[in-house]
Amino acid sequence: MSIVGLLATAKIGEATSGGTFWMPENASTAAQGVDDVFYFINNINYFFFALLVLILVWFAVRYRSKPSEHTTFTNDAPVHNTPLELTWTIVPLLIVGVLFWIGMDGYLHLVDAPDDSYPVRVTGQKWSWTFEHPEYGVTEAAELTVPLNRPVRLLMTSPDVLHSLFIPAFRVKQDLVPGRYTSLWFEATKPGQYRLYCTEYCGKDHSKMLAVVTVLPEDEFQNRLGKLAREYEDLDDKDLPAYALNRLYNRCASCHSLDGKSGTGPSFKGLWDRTQKGSTVFTNGKTLKGMMGPGGEFEVPENYIRDSILNPQHLIVQNYTGAMPTFKGQLKQRQIDAMVLMLKNLDSLVDENGNPIEAPKVDEVEVSTGADQ
Amino acid sequence: MTVEGDDSMTTTESRPLDAPALEVDNYLTYTRGIRSWILTLDHKRIGVMYLISVLACFLLGGIFALLVRTQLVVPDGLIMSQDEYNQAFTIHGGVMVFLVIIPGIPAALGNFILPIMLGAKDVAFPRLNLFSYWLWVLGAIFLVSAIFGGLDTGWTFYTPYSIDQNSAMGGVIPAVTGAFLLGFASIFTGMNFIVTIHRLRPDGMTWFRMPLFLWSLYATAVIQVLATPVLGITLALLAVERAFGIGIFNPALGGDPVLYQHFFWFYSHPAVYIMVLPAMGVVSELIAVHSHRHIFGYAYIAWSSVAIAIFSFLVWGHHMFTSGQSPLMSVIFSFITFSVAIPSGIKVFNWLATMYKGAISWNTSMFYGMGFIVLFIIGGLTGLYLGVISVDVHLHDTYFIVAHFHYTMMGSSLIGFIGGLHHWWPKITGKMFNENAGRIAFMLFFVGYNMTFFTQFMLGSHGMPRRYATYPADAGFQTYHIISTIGSYIMAIGFFTMAGYFIASLFVGRKAAANPWGGRSLEWQCTSPPPHDNFSEQPAVGDCYDFSVLRWDDETNGYVWREDVAHPGHESEHTASS
Repeated sequence: MSIVGLLATAKIGEATSGGTFWMPENASTAAQGVDDVFYFINNINYFFFALLVLILVWFAVRYRSKPSEHTTFTNDAPVHNTPLELTWTIVPLLIVGVLFWIGMDGYLHLVDAPDDSYPVRVTGQKWSWTFEHPEYGVTEAAELTVPLNRPVRLLMTSPDVLHSLFIPAFRVKQDLVPGRYTSLWFEATKPGQYRLYCTEYCGKDHSKMLAVVTVLPEDEFQNRLGKLAREYEDLDDKDLPAYALNRLYNRCASCHSLDGKSGTGPSFKGLWDRTQKGSTVFTNGKTLKGMMGPGGEFEVPENYIRDSILNPQHLIVQNYTGAMPTFKGQLKQRQIDAMVLMLKNLDSLVDENGNPIEAPKVDEVEVSTGADQ
Repeated sequence: MTVEGDDSMTTTESRPLDAPALEVDNYLTYTRGIRSWILTLDHKRIGVMYLISVLACFLLGGIFALLVRTQLVVPDGLIMSQDEYNQAFTIHGGVMVFLVIIPGIPAALGNFILPIMLGAKDVAFPRLNLFSYWLWVLGAIFLVSAIFGGLDTGWTFYTPYSIDQNSAMGGVIPAVTGAFLLGFASIFTGMNFIVTIHRLRPDGMTWFRMPLFLWSLYATAVIQVLATPVLGITLALLAVERAFGIGIFNPALGGDPVLYQHFFWFYSHPAVYIMVLPAMGVVSELIAVHSHRHIFGYAYIAWSSVAIAIFSFLVWGHHMFTSGQSPLMSVIFSFITFSVAIPSGIKVFNWLATMYKGAISWNTSMFYGMGFIVLFIIGGLTGLYLGVISVDVHLHDTYFIVAHFHYTMMGSSLIGFIGGLHHWWPKITGKMFNENAGRIAFMLFFVGYNMTFFTQFMLGSHGMPRRYATYPADAGFQTYHIISTIGSYIMAIGFFTMAGYFIASLFVGRKAAANPWGGRSLEWQCTSPPPHDNFSEQPAVGDCYDFSVLRWDDETNGYVWREDVAHPGHESEHTASS
């Protein structure tokens, strides 16, 4: 199943519906604590809201006076009462004191990741997520696979603007700040798939900067990561285009369509054709044709594709802005090969509407969702 | 006896000698012509100009709010592209915050009422007052022009998005210029009010005899003067950074984007109290006057305004629990944040106690007063979840926040403004509006409001992030969004009803008495609408919440002084002689 397909599965809907009236399903060690505090405050709030509104309505009804009735007014009710004032100062003070303490305690627990946490490096950029597993040398996009019952620490940064990583089912959230690292940790307690959102406004496709967290039991996790680590090294060259479409394209999908529609960037449909012919015109007025060929900037057309991926600000296609981030350091040479091959063979991979033609070959690892356990 | 400097404060306008004699000389008929308005030094006319401008901006911001709500009815977005949606919520937020809620009560109602409540002829610096109005208009033009330049940063202008030429659209510099100018208008108004309250209080009106509305305007003015310059310098830095790339907030140039958030919230959190404090002052008047009952715990309400003003400067970090500030700072900010709950609670308890044994009119103004209390309780109690850091981490930047701040900024601040508008409408226009229409509009508003925003608490706690043009279809969000959108339409009907009966009252409304509700503060002692100079002689001041001295008068359809009770100033223990 492709990742784009995964995003649309109903499993996530089920995960969401596992929640309560106020909270989504909880699936991490931190979640129960957060929920307990939430419901504790809920009870305090229901009590005070009911009390105050009852008093308000009672007084409003009891002391209602039609204009014809109040021709004069008395002034006999008390206008201050120190014990009463002290009561409604000190009682709330004690309550919020307790709340502060509980919240601080829970927060400090969220801050400190255990020493043996499984490390993941996260890059959020407009408008996609990249997750690197240094222990396996694996990079995932739009999907984060993590082990069950083991603390996971995300070390995060952004090359462009602020983003924020939010997994509601785990009750964790942390901003990604360009120019520094931030981190968060969680320990998943239920296998399954959970939504991951960007919650710090980051521009046009902010609401499409989504990903899925897949929690797998330890053995399945190791199995899957091991397989992902080898996948593009083990593949035949003929399988590389399909690999790129299924495993890499989702990082491009928010801006580059497959069906010819212009997005934030040019469509991938016909891109190789335009590149070969050199018909692309740039914002600086030059055409690609003038830069290609022996002695030119791009000896072969493949070099232009490579340059566009690694150094996207260098040449910007006319009518577009330089919104694309660099993928330098995120893609291995063989993955760039795969992208070039995908663009070359796009017509045989997708139909007119940009939908994949043949069943994807690569990602065949069974994903346990926990829902059937 | 006149207040020191009073003579020099008299406005320079004078009626031409050949002007026809008028039946009733009031501030609206005193002089005529466009120039007599745009160059007026009369605080009442400036207040009315602010009022019309603010209401126009409210219509603009409201239209964008309805567009935003309409978009979210379906998961893929109904009417706008991603970019268009991002601009729509930015314009909605920017207009509502900078052009409606911040100036609404202080600049519009405050300008009109404050000097009259003090028994003064005008504010301390009438020319500065006029200047600040036109500065405000200029700022508003800049800010609104950003609609056409394209502005998609959100009203917060967070860096590095806003300074990145490849990210944010071109409207950033006009918009921050607008906000900068509006800030100065706000500072000038604040200074004017501080000086006016210090210098122009009449004999007998000690600090603790001021109407509570003045206390809240005073606390607000202090925040405006102290906090707004920080916004000014921050936005100036942002504009320079975007135009010339000097590297203050841009990490690529060694800057720090989180620094911007500190600067921004150092202003914008106190600004939340610039918005809500005046509304609390209005509600103190509404509850006391329409319950015809002496305000309970006067000193506690007054001091709680001051306490809120002080605390408001020390809690900005609670906007940044997940921004990457140090955990220690988060803990300290959480602690101080909770302390704000105490003075806010004190106000609510005292308002309720004021209603005890009152003679409560069920009129539109009182409904807005009671509506404020209910919505403010919800806004305040939901703030508790957000002060608790561990829970805030889950709720931050979701619709829970959107719901919470609408309960405080709209449910409280705006409702205070609208309640005050009803309360002082007879004084401002000299006409009574239709009470039944007013009560119906209030019910529409109140029901629509809670449909719109209470559902958003659920959306947020289930994980719906804010500022999303689209959302996953299978995440269970759509039902809440549909209810919320229907609520917003009901609210809109309520507001259009309100506009209808207000406009109708100008033409067919019954003439208002000087004191239609039975208020005791000084603005109810001059005619409706007030004469150009407010009072022909300095009014005497008593206890402004002692309603027992009034009686209903059938002839004028209003309240008048009881014949069997002496005026203060003649022989009253309340006040010094005048």
